[in-house]
Amino acid sequence: MPIIQSRKGISSRKSITVYGLTFSLPMLVWQLLFFLAPLLFLIALSFWSVRNFRMEPDFNPDNWVRMLGRSVFWEAYFRTLALAASAAVITSALAFPCAYGIAFKLSEAARRWAIFLMVIPFFTSYLVRVYSWQIFLSDNGIINALFAKIGLGPFGMLNSVFGTMVGYVTLSLPLVVLLQLFSLMFVDKTLIEAAHNLRCGRLRTVFEVIVPAAKVGLVIAALFCFILTFGDFVSPLYLGGGDPPTLSILITDTTKSGQQWPRAAVIALMMIATLLAVAFAAVSYAYRERGR
Amino acid sequence: MTEQALVVFDGVAKRYGSFVAVEDFNLEIRKGEFLAIMGSSGCGKTTTLRMLAGLEAPSEGEIRLAGKRINDLPTWQRDTPMVWQSLALFPFLTVRENVEFSLRMRGVEKAERLRRVDRWLERMQITEFADRNVAHLSGGQRQRVALARSLVTEPPILLLDEPLSALDAHLKVRMQTVLSNLQRELGITFVYVTHSQSEAFSMADRVVIMSRGRIEQIGNPQEIYRAPRTKFVAEFLGSSNIFAGKVSNVNGEAIRISTPAGDFDVAPNTAKPLSKGDKATFVVSGDRVHLSNQPPSDGYNGLQASVVGEEFVGATAIIHLEGAERIEIKAQKSHDELGDLNLAPGAKVWVSWRPEVTHILPGE
Repeated sequence: MPIIQSRKGISSRKSITVYGLTFSLPMLVWQLLFFLAPLLFLIALSFWSVRNFRMEPDFNPDNWVRMLGRSVFWEAYFRTLALAASAAVITSALAFPCAYGIAFKLSEAARRWAIFLMVIPFFTSYLVRVYSWQIFLSDNGIINALFAKIGLGPFGMLNSVFGTMVGYVTLSLPLVVLLQLFSLMFVDKTLIEAAHNLRCGRLRTVFEVIVPAAKVGLVIAALFCFILTFGDFVSPLYLGGGDPPTLSILITDTTKSGQQWPRAAVIALMMIATLLAVAFAAVSYAYRERGR
Repeated sequence: MTEQALVVFDGVAKRYGSFVAVEDFNLEIRKGEFLAIMGSSGCGKTTTLRMLAGLEAPSEGEIRLAGKRINDLPTWQRDTPMVWQSLALFPFLTVRENVEFSLRMRGVEKAERLRRVDRWLERMQITEFADRNVAHLSGGQRQRVALARSLVTEPPILLLDEPLSALDAHLKVRMQTVLSNLQRELGITFVYVTHSQSEAFSMADRVVIMSRGRIEQIGNPQEIYRAPRTKFVAEFLGSSNIFAGKVSNVNGEAIRISTPAGDFDVAPNTAKPLSKGDKATFVVSGDRVHLSNQPPSDGYNGLQASVVGEEFVGATAIIHLEGAERIEIKAQKSHDELGDLNLAPGAKVWVSWRPEVTHILPGE
């Protein structure tokens, strides 16, 4: 009897696996067709040659050598990296008090409203929001007009790093607040009480207990901000002025100048590799445990 | 207030809207005593402990620690460390860092911190786990970490909120010994909240029994066991037979009470003077009644009852019986004492006891 039962167990487990696979199959096919296949194509493309503004399949490492040998590339690379990292830090810092307040200070009902309000920014196109920022930030825009009233300015906010950063924050703040909020909401309240009980004051408890306890969510939120802004093309172009370029702007410039799609592919692959490395590092850091 | 009192609850109440969690709470907790607050869930025992820790503010009354009013003192300025039911160890810190936490918060300098942490790790026999993640420890080891974390600052009092309830029975008994020894060696006050009679009675010097936000009785375990004050306490402890009736005769030292189960002679209780016609409730502890085939001799109270069932509790058995008017009676006897008595369900036996072993409930 036991043998028959265990066989039955295996076959039913097998059928569950088959069942599960059937349902996950569309997703798998989608990923293969529209992510993995293009990625492989992108890798192949990066070795093609361009002759007379026409691309030819080839195995030519020249694109890599040329691209990675140019200081323009590396300047854009490190600028983009620094901008995205700054955006992750600044957005996280701006989001935290907000997420903290919603998680710990609001009533259940008010918290639901706050979450609902956080979703609203996603209703409007990001491009539209960035264009409207131009009206605020330009030299004769709303903010400088207000400054002029008290005899200050005008301040050059548009076409600067400041403008880029405003765009980045616009892009990622609601998402970062939501991600932080969901991790803060699940912090065990008795840990906070225990910290107070062990003589840790209110503000100190935030840094000693709440931040470490919510670390996974906080790091993932910052990671999402990094990913979104690292590849963003809209803010650095329309609010940052596009010069000096970020990697995404460099890609469009490269494709425009003499059909250099293979060299653009090199930049794109470098970006993907960077994102993979950063995401891996961030996730390992988020889940790293203290002690053995 | 006696000189020995470390904590005083003076007319303390706690309300949440119209819900009364604790009411009319007056208690002095002595320096160096092991006090257990016991009651079923929702009786207000945890709320009382949390008010002492500063995690809840009393709605009324005053709490004093070492003579000073602490009602408005935030918990991080009190010296009232607590051990939580969930232990509330910090999962993002190692064992050592957990124990070190409150020393760091007080700004104790590093070398001194490590010295004191090491001493406590050793005392609680968890030195070998010092650099482990707390999530990777067993229940008993985590318990020791929680105790070390709370005691490392050498506070005058330790609050414990059902800390053993998550452990298995065997480990529970071991930790009880650890706790009693620790309390005796340190000589500090332990306030221990529990719903478990065995935990409270085996460790505590004094027990407070609470029901619906109020104190039902305060006393040492023997007192409470032998002389419960109210019907609630007698029922809560579960080992007594309860008879309610009316005084039919008072003759010097002898009081006769008529109950639906019969008329019985009862020993007077100075805490509850009775005269003819008064309502009275008395108890007889289950281990003090005799069972027999014969009616009792003179000087004994007796009634005839039929056996309902038998329940074995290790070396003793609890015989459940039913008297007149379906009155429930329990008798706890060793197997020897039962002899060849017929205890088949439905069998008739005589239940008897001497008037001296009865106890009139003063609170009824």
